[in-house]
Amino acid sequence: MATFELYRRSTIGMCLTETLDEMVQNGTLSPELAIQVLVQFDKSMTEALETQVKSKVSIKGHLHTYRFCDNVWTFILQDALFKNEDNQENVGRVKIVACDSKLLTQ
Amino acid sequence: MAEQGLEGSQPVDLQKHPSGIVPTLQNIVSTVNLDCKLELKSIALQARNAEFNPKRFAAVIMRIREPKTTALIFASGKMVCTGAKSEEQSRLAARKYARIIQKLGFPAKFKDFKIQNIVGSCDVKFPIRLEGLAYSHGAFSSYEPELFPGLIYRMKQPKIVLLIFVSGKIVLTGAKVRDETYTAFENIYPVLTEFRKNQQ
Repeated sequence: MATFELYRRSTIGMCLTETLDEMVQNGTLSPELAIQVLVQFDKSMTEALETQVKSKVSIKGHLHTYRFCDNVWTFILQDALFKNEDNQENVGRVKIVACDSKLLTQ
Repeated sequence: MAEQGLEGSQPVDLQKHPSGIVPTLQNIVSTVNLDCKLELKSIALQARNAEFNPKRFAAVIMRIREPKTTALIFASGKMVCTGAKSEEQSRLAARKYARIIQKLGFPAKFKDFKIQNIVGSCDVKFPIRLEGLAYSHGAFSSYEPELFPGLIYRMKQPKIVLLIFVSGKIVLTGAKVRDETYTAFENIYPVLTEFRKNQQ
């Protein structure tokens, strides 16, 4: 199954990449294996978000910029309000990058 | 509605608009040739507020906020600008899009700008007997309430299509210059008063 490399830029993805880099540097891990771990991370993130995350967030704000190219939506919102079940938070400027997961199964 | 407010503040030229009603322009469609080949993907990636989905439509769809319009930009360099409320706003918007394309590094010109369609609307503020109108103006009218609730009136001179609704709301489309819209409305107004529905 194909996967997005989108989640590698998340906090958890960055941490994993840093750790793998370190292990490759000091020779405890081969570069090939490190790549394989990252690919598995892509798969696991996609699967986990699909099956384990039940919570929903609504995001509302002023749409400053949008773009749709290569099947990726990019939105820049100003003064966005993030809301989930039990709390909410205002964010001055936020960038949303969204891919269509249906494209993976094709 | 805004148009009523405008009429109140600016007296209507009864010479030009004997009905006392001036149709409000709602949408202007214009075209222009930028006269250079365009790399649509690079435009979509660099410009803001752009959509490009070549599987669905072979043009970049771009929007600006002032004048609030949408442009369809084709690889051939041809562009369509929609949504403006006046001819000048449509031209200004088209110029802004051309400027955006230039800023992205294309040698865009501004050739053969043309207004292709003007849509106007107004409200005569009385109900209309569409069946009667359709019957007596059979050559110009098409009224199929099961298909569409409005009467479609294809005026020959000027060549304008009018959508006439029972409520007295009128849509006029097909004009290349606004005077065609105004003339068409003044032509139809006496007919509308003739088929005014008497309220129960």
